[in-house]
Amino acid sequence: MSLAEFLKTALIALRRNVLRSVLTTLGIIIGVGSVIVMSAIGNGASKQIEQQIASLGTNQLTIFPGSTNVGGRQGGFGSAPPLTEKDLRAIREGVDGVVAVAGSMNNSATLVVGNANWVTQLQGSTAEIQDVRDWPVKSGRYFDATEATSRRKVLVIGATVARELFGEQDPVGTTVRVNNVPFEIVGVLTAKGQAGGRDQDDVVIAPLPTARSRLMGRVRVPDEVGQILVKVDDSHDLAEVQTDLERVLRERRRIQPNTPDNFAVRNFADILATRSATQRTLGLLLASAAAISLLVGGIGIMNIMLVSVTERTREIGLRMAIGARGGDILGQFLTEAVLLCLAGGLIGLTLGLGIAVVVSALLSWPVYISPGIVLLAILASAAVGVLFGYVPARRASQLNPIEALRYE
Amino acid sequence: MTSEGAPAQVPVIAARNLTKTYQLGEQAVHALRDVSFEIQRGEFVAIMGPSGSGKSTLMNLIGALDVPSSGQLCINGTDIATLSRDELAGLRNHTIGFVFQQFNLLARTTALDNVKLPLTYSEPRPADPDALARKCLEQVGLEGRMDHVPSRLSGGQQQRVAIARALVNSPSLILADEPTGALDTATSLEILNLFKSLNAQGMTIIMVTHELDVAAHAKRLLRVRDGKLVEDRPVHGLLEESAT
Repeated sequence: MSLAEFLKTALIALRRNVLRSVLTTLGIIIGVGSVIVMSAIGNGASKQIEQQIASLGTNQLTIFPGSTNVGGRQGGFGSAPPLTEKDLRAIREGVDGVVAVAGSMNNSATLVVGNANWVTQLQGSTAEIQDVRDWPVKSGRYFDATEATSRRKVLVIGATVARELFGEQDPVGTTVRVNNVPFEIVGVLTAKGQAGGRDQDDVVIAPLPTARSRLMGRVRVPDEVGQILVKVDDSHDLAEVQTDLERVLRERRRIQPNTPDNFAVRNFADILATRSATQRTLGLLLASAAAISLLVGGIGIMNIMLVSVTERTREIGLRMAIGARGGDILGQFLTEAVLLCLAGGLIGLTLGLGIAVVVSALLSWPVYISPGIVLLAILASAAVGVLFGYVPARRASQLNPIEALRYE
Repeated sequence: MTSEGAPAQVPVIAARNLTKTYQLGEQAVHALRDVSFEIQRGEFVAIMGPSGSGKSTLMNLIGALDVPSSGQLCINGTDIATLSRDELAGLRNHTIGFVFQQFNLLARTTALDNVKLPLTYSEPRPADPDALARKCLEQVGLEGRMDHVPSRLSGGQQQRVAIARALVNSPSLILADEPTGALDTATSLEILNLFKSLNAQGMTIIMVTHELDVAAHAKRLLRVRDGKLVEDRPVHGLLEESAT
């Protein structure tokens, strides 16, 4: 028999029991559909995060005092001597390829304007923060170095804070009370959006010396800078600059050789690497979920194909009597199983794509459907058809035509 | 493969010391014992016998659905014991046209597609299966019913479709198993007359039945009992003798 005839015969057989065919493929439909939806949402989320990390800048280094991951020898985060203005200067002057360096201390703060209030994250930063973060203002301006050193009470606010406290009004020039201290708003930042589940725009930035004296609860040394953010020149290798920077800091902080750093340097490339490892785990989990649902679906297919072979024993006997070879019967039932699985896979695919589109429209979640997963879904359903259709098809092909013809 | 004399003289069926034994547990059941006969081209033979006589076994052997335990069965000179499972299928496809008691048509499939079914298993494939199938349906008088599915055809019409299906590959013989068993008397007569006219056109027909009335339409009668061929005679005068 030719492939066209196999397909025609299989279609006739499947149409004979439309409801049963659909119910049989339900396992495959649900399996393929859920994998498509999950991967669309998962891929969408990771695509978005990648974009956001890119928006944070992949040419940045962040230095924290102390580190929690040295393995028990050291105390918790912040137990090491804090980073200071001197460290900042040492990096600015002693490390090649550094474009800008900014200190940044964080605390939470309550903002009050009239009878509106908003709790947000306060970032005390040196003036270079605008260069390091590549984060321009939408209106107004940043504070400058003079304003910073003279401890002026000026504030740059994020888009979310502006929206929550002032709505559509331009807040530049307004006075706002930050933890009961009046500050003048000099600028509003452009919106950056979500990153890692956190609203990047829910932030206010004040000059670091002002914040240190007025808003930070605990300052261990007078010139503490919290974290140091470093922007590296694009033409320099990030890893080289990092090594150089670590050497300078070790010298400045007088760390003996063979003693671990009492500071930690992070870059976004590391974070990306961690993310892709997480993604691999997630992908593996997804794949095993898909494998299990396809296995269950496949068993369903095998079950129905066995029933179908039994029901059609007489037909098989007749076909053999009029000249069908074993291979013809095998091919016929195998085609039927594969067609059933492929149809299930395609329905599941369509359903999954539909749900993904609806989800992205209703919840405005980012979804991304990779062509690879679509192809994989189709191939996997066909493979399930061959795998689980083989046993029933082989059983059919080995029937004795005399007994099959006599079967009631 | 054995070949005796000129091709024209090769019998369609040649059975020599045909024996078929089934093993039922410890016990050996002799379904056929030492049966020998020949059927020539153009004959119309009825095989009769009560149930358990071995006539079904004989029919399965003639239909190349089974192979003998010992002895020899040649179809068109080919010893079926020498053929593989797939070669037997090919032989059935080209050489034998089956007609069954229960018609065995594919449901929800048109008469034309039912008749074409054996051609889908033919090698080489015929150039125009549709034309062949149409011709055979015309031959059995169903030219107006080609697009009907079996459920919309009467029993007699369904059996005609089955006969057309048996004819489509221009077989050497038609092997009919109780072809009128599911039909009323009038319809049975129509089918038997169709067989007669096909036989008159030169088709070899072997018909298994347990009814003497049906067997009487053939030209030659083989009677089987207890696995043995007990009678081989012309049908002429059969009914008159049995009446006395």
